[in-house]
Amino acid sequence: MGILLPIMGSRMPGSRNLLRGEVPPLFGKTRQRLLALLYRRADQEHLQERLIQLAGLGRGTVQRELEFLARAQVVRRLVRGRQVYFQANRESPIYGELRGLVLKTAGLADALRAGLAPLAGGLRVAFIYGSIAKGTERRASDVGVMLIGDVSFAQASDALGRAQEALGREINPSVYAAADFRAKLAARHHFLRTVLAGEKIFLIGEERELARLAKK
Amino acid sequence: MRDWLRNSWIVEHQSGAQEIAGLLAIVERGLANTKVVGLAEDWRFNIAYNAALQAATAALAAPGLRAAREQHHYRTVQSFALMIGWSAAEVGRLDRFRKKRNIIGYESAGVVSEREAREMYDLAVVLRDDVLAGLGKHYPKLVKR
Repeated sequence: MGILLPIMGSRMPGSRNLLRGEVPPLFGKTRQRLLALLYRRADQEHLQERLIQLAGLGRGTVQRELEFLARAQVVRRLVRGRQVYFQANRESPIYGELRGLVLKTAGLADALRAGLAPLAGGLRVAFIYGSIAKGTERRASDVGVMLIGDVSFAQASDALGRAQEALGREINPSVYAAADFRAKLAARHHFLRTVLAGEKIFLIGEERELARLAKK
Repeated sequence: MRDWLRNSWIVEHQSGAQEIAGLLAIVERGLANTKVVGLAEDWRFNIAYNAALQAATAALAAPGLRAAREQHHYRTVQSFALMIGWSAAEVGRLDRFRKKRNIIGYESAGVVSEREAREMYDLAVVLRDDVLAGLGKHYPKLVKR
């Protein structure tokens, strides 16, 4: 067996995304769009016609992909009268894993990362916390986003407001300066300790940077 | 504005210099109280938010209006701006602070950062100043000092 050497001077597929700290898409365009639409609002039944419209792809392509996903049991197909609906299948044995993957790559997290991109220079860490990160969200659940760095609440809520419209969920930012974050943690602040102990989906930075911020 | 009156989002309300003065006094008291040493940030945020809401209420009261009780804060925030010429972006900013205040009240205690409390205070001061300027310009008899 030979040794695999990196090809110098060329980039691996997706390496541009990795350099930006993003996860590259693992699925083709149609599957990625449909999984994003279905799994970022896993609590809702989605009308087939609406999915075709939102996916922005050909009717036949979308219908074939939806049938495939239904056969693979990652989505449920429901028929009411003449209308066909699809919904993420919470009974699927890979529901949790697939949802995590979709949220981190093609769904909610990507939309939030794009919204925060203009502020990225001033942010040390940003992550989703609460029921969305845990996978226990309900229809009315909002998206808790913790931001630590040199941005204002007004800037953060303006930036995330654009993503909010696309996602159809209320986004609730909490914005801390690094020094305030550390001081509150040192004072055993209940809210921050609960958030830090819970599940997170990182948008900017990662767990190590967060731990560094907490300790400094 | 006529549509809002027709839909009862806002209702007609008999007001006068005394009520406006009372509301503006609450605004000043609130802004001063946010400076109390040792106050937790969620309290400072709440007090500054309430000062902003009372300033907005005064702006609506001057022409004889008030927001309906149902969704009172939301309707006050959305409708007062017409009186002082705030842009949609400025109203949107205040509305996001309104949502933050709801979260503080109903969901998690201690959820406000030092920066958020300071921003709410700064916004309340700007709003107070704009309301005072608007009242002075359009309803000078109501704000004689």
